Amino acid sequence: MISNVPWLTVIVSLPIFAGLMIPILPRNGNRVTRWYTLGICILEFLLITYIFYCHFRIDYQSIQLLETFNWINNIHLHWSLGIDGLSLGLVILTGFATTLATLSAWPITRNTRLFYFLMLIMYGGQIGLFVSRDILLFFFMWEIELIPVYLLLCLWGGKRRLYSATKFVLYTAGGSIFLLVAALTMSFYGSEVPSFNIQDLIHKSYPLSLEVLIYVGFLVAYAVKLPIFPFHTWLPDTHGEAHYSTCMLLAGVLLKMGGYGLIRINLELLTHAHFLLGSWMMLFGAIQIIYASLISMSQRNFKRRIAYSSISHMGFVTIGIGSFTETGINGAILQMISHGLIGAALFFLAGTCYDRTRTYLLDQLGGAAISMPKLFTMFSTLSLASLALPGMSGFVSELLVFLGVVTSNQYSFAFKAGITVLEGIGTVLTPIYLLSMLRQLFYGYRFFDKSNPYSIDLGPRELFILICFLLPILGIGLYPNLILSIGSTEIPSLPLT
Amino acid sequence: MKLSNEYAWIIPLCPLIASCCTGSLSFFFPRVARGFHRLCALLNVFSLAISMFVSLAIFQEQFVKNPIQQYLWIWIPRSTFCVEIGFLVDSLTLVMSLLVTTVGVLVMIYSDSYMCYDRGYTRFYAYLSLFTASMLGLVLSPNLIQLYVFWELVGMCSYLLVGFWFARSSAANACQKAFVTNRIGDFGLLLGILGIYWTTGSFEISELCDRFAKLKEIGFSNPILTNIIAFLLLAGPVAKSAQFPLHVWLPDAMEGPTPISALIHAATMVAAGIFFIARIYGLISTLPLVMQASSWLGGATALLGATLALAQRDLKKGLAYSTMSQLGYMVLALGIGAYQSALFHLVTHAYSKALLFLGAGSVIHSIEKVVGYSPNRSQNMFFMGGLRKYMPITGTTFLLGTLSLSGIPPLACFWSKDEIIHESWLSSLPLGILASGTAGLTAFYMFRIYLLTFEGDFCTIKTDWVDFNHFAPLSISMWGETEGNLSLNQINQNVASVRLGITKNKGFSSSYLANPNGITNVHYDQSLPKPKESSSAMTFSLVMLAIPTTLVGLLGINLIGETANFELSPEWLINPVHFFELSKSFNIYIKILLNSRSSLILSFFGIFFSFIIYKKSYKYFYITKKLVGFTKLVSKFGLLVQSWSLNRGYIDYYYDICFVRNLRSLSKSLSDFDRYGIDGFVNVIGALNFFGGEFIRYGENGRISYYLFIIIFGAILSSVLIFIFLPFP
Repeated sequence: MISNVPWLTVIVSLPIFAGLMIPILPRNGNRVTRWYTLGICILEFLLITYIFYCHFRIDYQSIQLLETFNWINNIHLHWSLGIDGLSLGLVILTGFATTLATLSAWPITRNTRLFYFLMLIMYGGQIGLFVSRDILLFFFMWEIELIPVYLLLCLWGGKRRLYSATKFVLYTAGGSIFLLVAALTMSFYGSEVPSFNIQDLIHKSYPLSLEVLIYVGFLVAYAVKLPIFPFHTWLPDTHGEAHYSTCMLLAGVLLKMGGYGLIRINLELLTHAHFLLGSWMMLFGAIQIIYASLISMSQRNFKRRIAYSSISHMGFVTIGIGSFTETGINGAILQMISHGLIGAALFFLAGTCYDRTRTYLLDQLGGAAISMPKLFTMFSTLSLASLALPGMSGFVSELLVFLGVVTSNQYSFAFKAGITVLEGIGTVLTPIYLLSMLRQLFYGYRFFDKSNPYSIDLGPRELFILICFLLPILGIGLYPNLILSIGSTEIPSLPLT
Repeated sequence: MKLSNEYAWIIPLCPLIASCCTGSLSFFFPRVARGFHRLCALLNVFSLAISMFVSLAIFQEQFVKNPIQQYLWIWIPRSTFCVEIGFLVDSLTLVMSLLVTTVGVLVMIYSDSYMCYDRGYTRFYAYLSLFTASMLGLVLSPNLIQLYVFWELVGMCSYLLVGFWFARSSAANACQKAFVTNRIGDFGLLLGILGIYWTTGSFEISELCDRFAKLKEIGFSNPILTNIIAFLLLAGPVAKSAQFPLHVWLPDAMEGPTPISALIHAATMVAAGIFFIARIYGLISTLPLVMQASSWLGGATALLGATLALAQRDLKKGLAYSTMSQLGYMVLALGIGAYQSALFHLVTHAYSKALLFLGAGSVIHSIEKVVGYSPNRSQNMFFMGGLRKYMPITGTTFLLGTLSLSGIPPLACFWSKDEIIHESWLSSLPLGILASGTAGLTAFYMFRIYLLTFEGDFCTIKTDWVDFNHFAPLSISMWGETEGNLSLNQINQNVASVRLGITKNKGFSSSYLANPNGITNVHYDQSLPKPKESSSAMTFSLVMLAIPTTLVGLLGINLIGETANFELSPEWLINPVHFFELSKSFNIYIKILLNSRSSLILSFFGIFFSFIIYKKSYKYFYITKKLVGFTKLVSKFGLLVQSWSLNRGYIDYYYDICFVRNLRSLSKSLSDFDRYGIDGFVNVIGALNFFGGEFIRYGENGRISYYLFIIIFGAILSSVLIFIFLPFP
């Protein structure tokens, strides 16, 4: 079914244009801006679901809703968009998480117009990244993310916001250089007229050494975003300092851009190099799981602890992608979506705790369960979800990754066994830091002064956000087919050694 | 009532629905839930009763021994594999589900009274129903993935329920410990499941057992690998059933409310490990090494648990170690191939231990109003004594449970335990000695618990083991709103009078074994409130549990001897006709009794020693005062046992030093590495850029002579360098 409306262009540009409208709005008070932004977000989300419901055929595995316009002819940049099962899940996740992040930013009172403008720009840019079919456009969208996050960090962050914002920008921009160089190399190699279209690039073949180089170039950029082990130190700083709505976007969507790129470009376009380097990716992923969990254990700041847990969970994505099996890659996609939901919800919870206690240090907290039973329940539930309790989405994705590793034909038995054991150790370490965080936050008993900061339980808005996150988590956990049926991607045919 | 097997899905569904309703009600509308709390409880009891009747009906139907397997929905459909959710009904499942539902219903009825003043009343019922639902799901699982799912879920419920009184920091530590220790076992279980999948390509339990055996016959599979996989699979039961290296969580788990200890940590969840081994018995029984290892593991655990239970002060912890020991018996029995005896012991032990725990709960519930709400006081056996006079029903049923667990003939555990001991003598000499010795120890410590708690005089006053500092009266409001406040004054009075009592006879328990004469002047204050018999809901459950504790053994025993087939015969629980037939064949019993005289003698020895030490301890020591050397020996030995038992065999300390601290320091050093190594590198590069920029900025000062100087200096330097490093010919 082909309709004449360029739907994808509409959903990419709607939030951006709506964001540009914000200066026109009346200046008195935050309310108008708030509701306007929230309305746009919900409209966008509804539009996304409508389009995917009516114009997307799940049973086709190819790219759909393709639309291509010439944008800047001189540099052969095309506005070329399209989606398949892989992007679909992530686009829906983006819509969902961004809308809820906007709603979670309700308490922000300072400079709201700029804040919501940046949120809307982020919204459009994220979706643009996931639907772009042109590698230069992909780079463009990748960069668009940078500025809003930098500003969000700089202006609404914590005490060390400037340091972490600078670090974030330098890291990401540094990675982007590699992305750009690799993308240009790909498109210029072996053809007179450079072609940035991903569809064309699939059919290109490169000498192996060049392919590996391009692969590594992309990998550096994704390794920063994903993050993969030695490139991760921006994440705890950024997450530790950012306002929690920004954290939700970072954890919910931005980290997934790395995983998406890894599948979309490295796996699909550079299969030979992926075949060579897949084992290294799995190894790094496995190390990352354990390394980040161990570090998380000794963090005193619980937001940083959640940030490290996020790094640890993203290790499963790397392993799944490296496993080279359909199961493993589906597990990786599911893990991205599941972590997008769980991570965002956990950061939101950390933020709501901070709103009440004004501290992130676990030593100064404790005994909060008595006065905030709802917060306690939600925090426990989502921590359990994060440690991959069956019935929640995290379990399904980790199980799929495990099975992907076990059933993989590409690796020797010893290697698979080693990776599986390392992953398994990760699953033992995860509850230690998550549950001890819960224990230090909520369990125990405290005598309070007369000004009790813990007295207010979750309000309806906060509860609504959390339940919105919890429902898909449970839904995917109980019936994973919800996502697996749409998220199935075609694995490129494997090179025969 | 006729129900065909296809309706087995009702069994776990009923409590699940009740749990969801109760849980969401108490989450969203806590006030409403508090108002209708009895209604919520009724809903939960009722739903579990439905599943009990359904399982009973299916049980009656299932005379035929063909298991039924059915799938409800496809959970993870993929082209390469497919994980389905369904259920498997066979005799093992039915016995377990009947056990879970009956104990569950009684525990729920009991909890209504036990938890009545607790703020988390509805939450408690929601957790309880969730637990029963997941336990029933576990029992009905046809494949390993589903089993793992429910396995984790019961672990989670255990976590939630152990940490139910979250204001206690000890409960917080205990629940985390329980979850993490279980996760270590689950790690092995998961790897084992993956390994099994890798070797056989199936998650289906029956299918994979067949394939595994076939592969082994052909010699296709690597023997080392298969053994490793089987050991990994065993790691799950080792953690869940509290076997030796991973048993540390079980005594700590007693921080949870007592009904939970009865249901989860005595009757059902800890038995899940045994159930799991029985489920994959077809796989394990083909590997002699694994069988032998598990028998030794079980034997070691049985002995260790028994020795640790010898001198516990805490009533519930003593029972917990006893549970561990009995679970060791079951693993031992499975290891030596006595499949039926193991499951028989599972059932008899579950009822007896549930009875004992509920009795302990009844004691705690009534005594905590007298001695104080801190678990250090209300569960301390040295504060009890003589309670049978005040609470006759509890005392009598507790005695029944004690006798049963000690292996006294007409009661349930005798038959099953005797069977196990018999089999282990047949299997090997050391195992037989181990099993028999443990039986003697069991009788000793069980009677010690009984005597300290129920016999003698009520001895709140005569001890000085009171920690006033740790007694936080404000924490009472957590689990007793109205009554707690009322009795607060009483407790304070009691504390005061206890203080007075101490001045009169100092140093009782510290010199308990050395100087027994100190306790002769028992001081009893008549004005103190006395413990009362618990309410009818609690005694009802106790009496109801006392029935199977006495009778299950008689029903089960005759089939064990005759049928040695692989399947557990389901007839022995349901058919009352059988019971009358059994009474005719009286000579079977006589035969068994005669066969078991050695173990009986050991049990009586244990009871006898227990009597002479704890019944009238001061008299015993008075008599033996003449035999000074002997007394010294005894007291030394006693102190040794006491310190071994109270320090939990030093295993926890060892774990703390060995694992916890190392993990912490590893984590700390890795964190420092991350901060100063990786991040430091990044920061140094950033700083270098900054300083480099500054340097260049200062270098740029606009004076041409300066630039010229730099140029000339550079040229000279480079030519010198060239001159040095590239020598011209």
